[in-house]
Amino acid sequence: MINLLTPEFFFTVIRVTTPILFAAMAAIICSKSGVINIALESIMLTAALTGVLASGFSQNIFIGMVGGILGGMFIAGALAYFSLYLKADIILVGIALNLMAVGGTVFVMFVFTGDRGSTNSIRSLQFPDVNIPLLQDIPVVGTALSGHNILTYLAILSVIGVWFFLSKTTYGLRLRSVGENPDAATSVGIDVRKVKLVALLISGFLGAFGGMYMSMAYLSVFSTNMVAGRGFISLAAASMGQANPFGTLLAASFFGLMESVSYQLQAIGIPAQIVGMVPYVSVIIGLVLYAQYQQSLQKKKTLSKQLKEDPNEA
Amino acid sequence: MKKFFAVLLLGFVVVGLAACGTTESESDGPRIAVFINGTLGDKSFFDSANLGVQAIVDQYGYDVRVVEGGNDDTRWQPALLDLADGPYDIIIAGTWQMEQTVMEAATLHPDKQFIIFDTTVDYSDGKHSNVYSITYKQNEGGYLAGIVAASLTETGVIGAVGGIDIPVINDFIVGYIQGAQSVNPNIKVAISYIGGFVDSARGKELALAQFNGQRADVIFQIAGNAGLGVLEAAEEAGFLAIGVDSDQAAILAEDGRNDVANIIPTSVLKDVGASLKRAIDLNEDDLVPWGQAESVGLTEGSVGIARNTFFDALVPSSVLPLLESADAAIRNGSVQVDSAFGMDQARLDSIRAAVRP
Repeated sequence: MINLLTPEFFFTVIRVTTPILFAAMAAIICSKSGVINIALESIMLTAALTGVLASGFSQNIFIGMVGGILGGMFIAGALAYFSLYLKADIILVGIALNLMAVGGTVFVMFVFTGDRGSTNSIRSLQFPDVNIPLLQDIPVVGTALSGHNILTYLAILSVIGVWFFLSKTTYGLRLRSVGENPDAATSVGIDVRKVKLVALLISGFLGAFGGMYMSMAYLSVFSTNMVAGRGFISLAAASMGQANPFGTLLAASFFGLMESVSYQLQAIGIPAQIVGMVPYVSVIIGLVLYAQYQQSLQKKKTLSKQLKEDPNEA
Repeated sequence: MKKFFAVLLLGFVVVGLAACGTTESESDGPRIAVFINGTLGDKSFFDSANLGVQAIVDQYGYDVRVVEGGNDDTRWQPALLDLADGPYDIIIAGTWQMEQTVMEAATLHPDKQFIIFDTTVDYSDGKHSNVYSITYKQNEGGYLAGIVAASLTETGVIGAVGGIDIPVINDFIVGYIQGAQSVNPNIKVAISYIGGFVDSARGKELALAQFNGQRADVIFQIAGNAGLGVLEAAEEAGFLAIGVDSDQAAILAEDGRNDVANIIPTSVLKDVGASLKRAIDLNEDDLVPWGQAESVGLTEGSVGIARNTFFDALVPSSVLPLLESADAAIRNGSVQVDSAFGMDQARLDSIRAAVRP
């Protein structure tokens, strides 16, 4: 009745994880530079709409993609302007942007399409699915891993890209130093504000792909408030992954897995109310277990440090 | 730069305020206010209510003001109370979310009349004698949709994807199951709930899970905007989907989405507008049962299923007699369709469990 170990199930998990993964990478860049980007939800929602509109009116997927990226970066830029330059509280600005995006996207959709529910009336384009040569011929693995949307592969590449950027490039080092200790960074001549601005813009760029995945790959239309909390889940995933790209990949996949399990659980008669909690509760449990593990690790470290420093006293 | 953002922000504020639309004219009849706790343009539930309002204006020329409450549910209560304070004789609102507020307003303004649709207020102890509640027998529409689904399935498994596990959604589902069983007593029905009415991606996943996991090949969506995901899943994976509230195939075809419309054999219609028009018609002759709840269905023309070119293309003519006899049987009362309203949880659970694939 409920069969989780099928290639189709893993295909679903990957599909569900993709938008969260993009946004979680966006969250990592921000948290490494010391800003909390709570506006990911609105970045995704805005990009989901502007991507659809740009592709619909230009009938060109590339222009659609640029439109989506600009939409996401516009929100990220607004967040940066208000918080970094006008010194408003970044959490409050983020909340304001999230609230504005829900109504704002409906308004913009109404202006351009005359509809307030979804953009069915304009012919927007979708990103293509990709079959990977050789991989697709491997029996089980091929079914699960090949044939995904091109954005899914881009999401996986973005994990490597973010890791490379943060740990192997000079700018990545600067960005991390700004996050670790802004005063020290300033003392060596780094423009902290500018670095944070760049971090927010990169997160707007990555978050935009998460949004476009929703409306131009997952579904073929934008519908009101369609991001439905995925921006917040990716913040949790980034935090669970300790802002490490690969740890976050695991955390996002874990959420994708639990979400996909919840789709199957309903079918075997487990009440919808309980099933609906599964992905979120599992994230909380994951966070608690991880925090405990970290704490015990920390204790051991301090203990061994003490032992080394003063073996007699311990 | 600062000025630019100031102007931009101001623009958004103005736009936000401008979201309150009005339809006004001069007349001597009752002044009517309609509160939409959401926005118009859903091409479904609220737009249907608005169409009914337009029909009232067209026929009687009354002053009717339509106010959109927007998506922020914390604003609905003050907005409706403000309207009730205004110069209106009849105030109309809908959905279970407005139930408490309408009761509050009705108690504060015993001289005014209130109509609430798609739910009912509490009439115990003779309270709220100035409120007329309209509920819909969506179970009757669901029954007919169940007949269509059970006639079209090749696997013997059909599906339903609901928004939230609440009586008004379950009313559709209970009727759907009963209708399907009238065609095939051994029919299996996969049932899932999205947990909201906006997450269209989750709607798509749940429908695909029913199709791939339970082999459901006709899936009924009762999830508003999130149901779009169910319709897209059907188009993509190659099964059939039944729409809800308004004629979704016709609307999608109008938008140029024939690809999706082609897999929607029918939609369960819930004609909110017709019921509001009917209420005002009754009011003309002082026949509105104030202080009572009335349930309108097939007989009153407020519920039904869509028959269009897509129906003709997908539903074989052998199904038509089934539908017609069921329609007649419901109207003359020889078939009683179960309702999820007032049904106890154990009974509902057993109905759903009995048809689980």
